[in-house]
Amino acid sequence: MRILQNRYVTILWLALAAIGSILAANAIANLVVTTTSPVVTAERYRAIIWSVGTIAFIILGSVCVGHIGEAIAGWAKLSRAEQRKVFWGVTFAAPWIIGFVIFVLGPALASLYYSLTDYKLGETPNFIGLENYRILLSGEGAHGRRFGQSMYNSFYYALVGVPLQLITALAMAMLVNQALRGMKLFRLIFYIPVILAGGAAILLAWRYMLASNGGFINVTLQALARSFFATDFLYKGFIFGVEGFNGFYSGLARGDQVGPLIYTLPALIGAVLLFLSARGDWENSKRDRAWLVAEVIGMVLIFMLFVRALITTPVDWGMVLLAGSLAIAGILLNGQRGKRGSLRAWQAFTLIGLLGVLLVILLGDTTLSWEQRLPYIIGAAIIGVPVLFSMIGPWSRAKVYALAGGLVIAVAVLFIRDFGAEFGQRTIVPVVKYVFLGTALEPSADLTWLLESFPQSLASALWLWGAVALLLGGLAIANNRWPRAQRWVAIIGAVVFALIAVGSFLDGVRYFQAIDAASQAAGSPTYHFTLFRNATAAWPGENRVPLWLSSELWSKPSLILITMWSSGAMMLIFLAALKGVSQALYEAAKVDGANRTQRFFKITLPMISPALFYNLVIAIIAALQTFDTIYILQTVDTVDSLQSAVFFLYTRTFRQLAIGQGSGVSWILAGVIVLITVIQFRYSKWVHYEV
Amino acid sequence: MKRVLLLALLVVLALSVAIPAFAQDESLEIYITDMNEATMTWYNEVAIPAFQETHPGVTVEMLTGGWGDFDASVAGWITTGEGPDIVYLGSEYAATFCNLLTDVSPFLTEEDTAPFLPAALETVTCDGAPRGLPLLMSARPIYYRADLAAEGADFVPPTTFEEALAFVAANSAVENGALTKMGFMDIGSSLFDSQEFIAYIWSAGGELYNEDGTSAFDSDATAQALQYMYDRRRTILPTEDTAGLPPIEGAAIASGSVISGIWAMWQLPPVSDPIWDNITIAPYPAGPDGEQVVQVFVDWLSVPSYVENPELAMDFLKFITSQENAVTLSQVAGYTPVRPDAWETLQADPVWSRILDVAAEYGRGFSDIRASAELRPLIVEQATLFLTDQQSLEQTQQNLKEEYDLILEENGYLD
Repeated sequence: MRILQNRYVTILWLALAAIGSILAANAIANLVVTTTSPVVTAERYRAIIWSVGTIAFIILGSVCVGHIGEAIAGWAKLSRAEQRKVFWGVTFAAPWIIGFVIFVLGPALASLYYSLTDYKLGETPNFIGLENYRILLSGEGAHGRRFGQSMYNSFYYALVGVPLQLITALAMAMLVNQALRGMKLFRLIFYIPVILAGGAAILLAWRYMLASNGGFINVTLQALARSFFATDFLYKGFIFGVEGFNGFYSGLARGDQVGPLIYTLPALIGAVLLFLSARGDWENSKRDRAWLVAEVIGMVLIFMLFVRALITTPVDWGMVLLAGSLAIAGILLNGQRGKRGSLRAWQAFTLIGLLGVLLVILLGDTTLSWEQRLPYIIGAAIIGVPVLFSMIGPWSRAKVYALAGGLVIAVAVLFIRDFGAEFGQRTIVPVVKYVFLGTALEPSADLTWLLESFPQSLASALWLWGAVALLLGGLAIANNRWPRAQRWVAIIGAVVFALIAVGSFLDGVRYFQAIDAASQAAGSPTYHFTLFRNATAAWPGENRVPLWLSSELWSKPSLILITMWSSGAMMLIFLAALKGVSQALYEAAKVDGANRTQRFFKITLPMISPALFYNLVIAIIAALQTFDTIYILQTVDTVDSLQSAVFFLYTRTFRQLAIGQGSGVSWILAGVIVLITVIQFRYSKWVHYEV
Repeated sequence: MKRVLLLALLVVLALSVAIPAFAQDESLEIYITDMNEATMTWYNEVAIPAFQETHPGVTVEMLTGGWGDFDASVAGWITTGEGPDIVYLGSEYAATFCNLLTDVSPFLTEEDTAPFLPAALETVTCDGAPRGLPLLMSARPIYYRADLAAEGADFVPPTTFEEALAFVAANSAVENGALTKMGFMDIGSSLFDSQEFIAYIWSAGGELYNEDGTSAFDSDATAQALQYMYDRRRTILPTEDTAGLPPIEGAAIASGSVISGIWAMWQLPPVSDPIWDNITIAPYPAGPDGEQVVQVFVDWLSVPSYVENPELAMDFLKFITSQENAVTLSQVAGYTPVRPDAWETLQADPVWSRILDVAAEYGRGFSDIRASAELRPLIVEQATLFLTDQQSLEQTQQNLKEEYDLILEENGYLD
């Protein structure tokens, strides 16, 4: 027995047992399958030898890892007995650790390295710094443009497809949650598409069903439309809406300018949120909502600005100050609110961004002279020094002054530098005109200035998003300390933003008309909103049908339709959650006079919110990784409008053998998924967990 | 004890690495894409035993797979340096995989290459050196249903872009916002194919590259090819919201609703089908300054650069592409031989005879397409924008030219 106590003997026994199992399996295989083929025999021996070798490697590796664990335990001054425990624990965990290092961590690090090179299969990789990222994120050349479009497509699947999928799954779950005979069969029927959906045969069947001429879906839709005038109106409205939306999205995805419309969305969101803040009494929920929106917009903005600062050629040092100013504002707001975790995250985020910019400027772009580099270094110092100072010791008034000082200097430098012709003429002047309805009252024939204001313009709405974030953040911080002033700020802000939204929308429409006219006058267009114009020029005629998989306007909705059909897995999760909702809650609500809608929104939805949150997170990740359906359904006509970021990654890596850029795509995609998931978890207060 | 055990484990580990290396004796792995069962049986039961008889001690194994996972498989083989000794490739792959394939010229004599069609040999050549041997060819002429053509007995295959547009106009019909008759269908069952676009540049008298190696997409021939494809699309589909034909079961040319098109042989009825009496085979129409062509694709067998014994691989290639085996493969697998001395049997069949005659007279190999994997999506993207009225002809040509030049530069084709 003593010999068994020796750790190496135990390990040897385990190794011999594993090897013996393999040899025994081979002996059985020899008995069952008899072959005289020398190739098969050689392959079998090779497999055995590899298996034995692999086991030996795992055991040796595990022992080594165990010893490392033991040494660390010794270094941490644990007792001898505890060191032995650590040895065994780590040794038995080591096969997984080794597997993780070899098959996950190693390749991941290798791909990170490759993403910084120009590696093409069969050629020697050369280090090119962030060039791949710059090309991809700035949309440069054919690959950059196609990547941008594929990201737009992926976001479409996430933003349009996921909500529709969730609604379908929840509706199905509520249907099959009824106490009726044969309900198990219905559950099975609804779940079957999950098993079938990825299969090539089923996707080919969908191809037939989605055929524009004579396909099952169009025949059914047309029959429904012809049955009653109201359904005909809905059918045509559906075609008009889908084609109009997708035509617009297609123009956006191809990078065409939308002119003054860039201001409409942030102004509208700002107006609505500020109006909601001003309406009624100030409550904690309002503060939380204002803070949440401000923080999400702020983080995304800073992220975008730092990315821009990293990829723009030549890099604009103003970006460093702009991103840094917003970051300081975020740090200040979090510090004042006493949110220690958020504060640390913002500080780290800011420093990583600054470090990235400095690395690019000092090491990445060797063509820059020291005179050109100096503004970046000064800019980084203006932001970085107060941020570093704010990280030392507890939050104090001195830190607030240091950060506020940095913020004031940065904003002042930006103001002096940019409030000239560039920013003032392009951005402030039109926006001031919107506020006073100046442009809305101008004769529509006078479009010269409008076209000149937005010629593939540098005008950006980022500052307007920033203004929305700052106003909402300010309201959250003030938290009704000065109720009258706060209400007036919110009302005035809401009115100003509403005017900007209306003015920019009207100008946006006129901008589109002007571009259209210029494009028509030139004979043939170079204008990707043509699809939008054609789709919305007239109400669909008598024989119009959805063109599903044969048109750019319908390809993405087709794919979403298939994912909706196969949302049975989500349905099951919803069903389990619905079954967990206590009937007592519904009965109590009924007694209090709540109707069906109220019961759904006030009881069902909050109670199943953990399932909803889980489905949301998983569905968004899956949507951003869409691949196989596209691979099977794409045609020459729709490949560009369908391809997701993962499909682009596959094409670039495996078809075009550009491993370096393909690796860059995978890291960008990983970053986007992590960012979205972190934001989802960070702002998941709406999820109600029962204790 | 501790040392002995560790030593024992180390020995096992070393053996596990060393023995497979010794175990790799004279063996050949051959990967052929999309091989059917009859072909696989012929290889395993006839060809391989015959080869092994002349090469004692050599074991040969056949592998097959689809085009779907082909790119990923090849990337894996090349990355790991371990894969089949002979890999089946399509026409355009010579330029894509050039650096990753062995220059096999040391193993070829003039006698070995003389029987092959020069265009086929050109397809397997990259940077002036052959990378394997051609196995089969697929000529893709235009097939016309003469019996259904609106011109009736007067039907003559169009020879110019102008005539082709008139033919498509006369033979296409739209009713109730949907296509009921299609004058022309492309190989991808769509209205446009990137390979066909290149063919029209050639038939318009143009080339893909200038003498200095830069792209010639700014040429008049490219403009004519694009304009022809645009006019044809507008003739068939008057508006972009017109629905296409209903799904077609079986061969499109036999459906009665498609009057002409380009298809591979496997998309057409068997040559024994009486429908062939009504099918006219002709080359592509030409532009004002060009000549008619027929695109010929050559599938070939290559030797990757990681192969340790390229001489043995070449022995097998010479064996499998011999006159005798080329004739047998044409019967077993339906391959069209790339060596005219194996055409005798095929020419006895009137359909094959017509295809071969057209290929011989007008054939142009789909070869020397540089950075083809990157060119195809570029053509699809830019031509689609033009064909769907989102981009002008000039802008399309400019984008094609600028971006393809950039791709050529990135891939080392330009100095």
